[in-house]
Amino acid sequence: MNQYPNSLDYYNYTNNNYNQPTFTEDVDAKKLYDPYQGFIRGNMFPNLYNGYKLNGPLNLEPKSEQEEMLIYLDALCFAAHDISLYLDIYPKDKDMIEAFANYNREANKVMEQYQKMYGPLVINSEANTVYPWAWDNKPWPWEKM
Amino acid sequence: MWKYEKKLQYPVNIKKRDLLMAKALLAQYGGPDSELAACLRYMNQRYTMPDDKGKALLSDIATEEIAHLEMIASMIYQLMQGATIEDLKKAGLGGHFAMHDSALFPNDPNGVPFTTAYIEASGDFIADIESDMAAEQRARATYEHLMDMTDDPAVLGPLSFLRQREVVHYQRFKELRDYYLKNKIQRMN
Repeated sequence: MNQYPNSLDYYNYTNNNYNQPTFTEDVDAKKLYDPYQGFIRGNMFPNLYNGYKLNGPLNLEPKSEQEEMLIYLDALCFAAHDISLYLDIYPKDKDMIEAFANYNREANKVMEQYQKMYGPLVINSEANTVYPWAWDNKPWPWEKM
Repeated sequence: MWKYEKKLQYPVNIKKRDLLMAKALLAQYGGPDSELAACLRYMNQRYTMPDDKGKALLSDIATEEIAHLEMIASMIYQLMQGATIEDLKKAGLGGHFAMHDSALFPNDPNGVPFTTAYIEASGDFIADIESDMAAEQRARATYEHLMDMTDDPAVLGPLSFLRQREVVHYQRFKELRDYYLKNKIQRMN
């Protein structure tokens, strides 16, 4: 269906990973995107990234300090998560385990700070030990910020 | 077990109502290659993976798919906010209103309800992983169709993120498959 202007051109991708017959283990932890750049792309690995339609990843524009902090937290969680999927396949990659550990540690720290300021995100947070019960409070994830 | 995190994996803040887009997004909520199908597919296949790599990867990706399902739900919910019955009828969502009002329901854009006949779990780990790779490709293609249908950056942002996750998941499944084939891994369980 090549009549669509945005239709995928399999053979002229700059970062086409679909037609590579085998995988490589040459991923370099130093070549990861930083958490925010990876987050807005949905991909921490420059060698795997390929965009579609957009000229580049869309920046997130926070309208409050709370939203800004949440985006920072989301990006750290994302970075740790995307690396964890990689590590499931390559459990002996020391550099990548270190990258995971760093982002994960920072994510946990920011997670607690955020919850102290804006209320609980997880049930087992210290932010859930206040009166009255705080878990019920807005915002719910599907509601606009 | 699972624990809920009261946030989305990637933020969804859509200000502009677009019922046709909401309807189209049902493809990824209750369609054959939806996030729901992906989650259930991997969640059922993980028990018959031959080693710990496979069990870990399928558990982790299945978990991420629930978060994607929540993102799609949030998009549909926000795109439908404030719509009147007349608006819904005009957008071809009259049937949806009759059965579900503005509630979320896992069916495809044509109202066909979700069925587990969409998913595969064969007990043959190579067959299963290859069906997962194909499912990720089909979902990527669906996200491209959805991106072709809108120019709202608030909709394109999350769609672009979700499309890219299909690319990464595809790659990880392919690596797992190639690893098994290269090392002649057998299932002992």
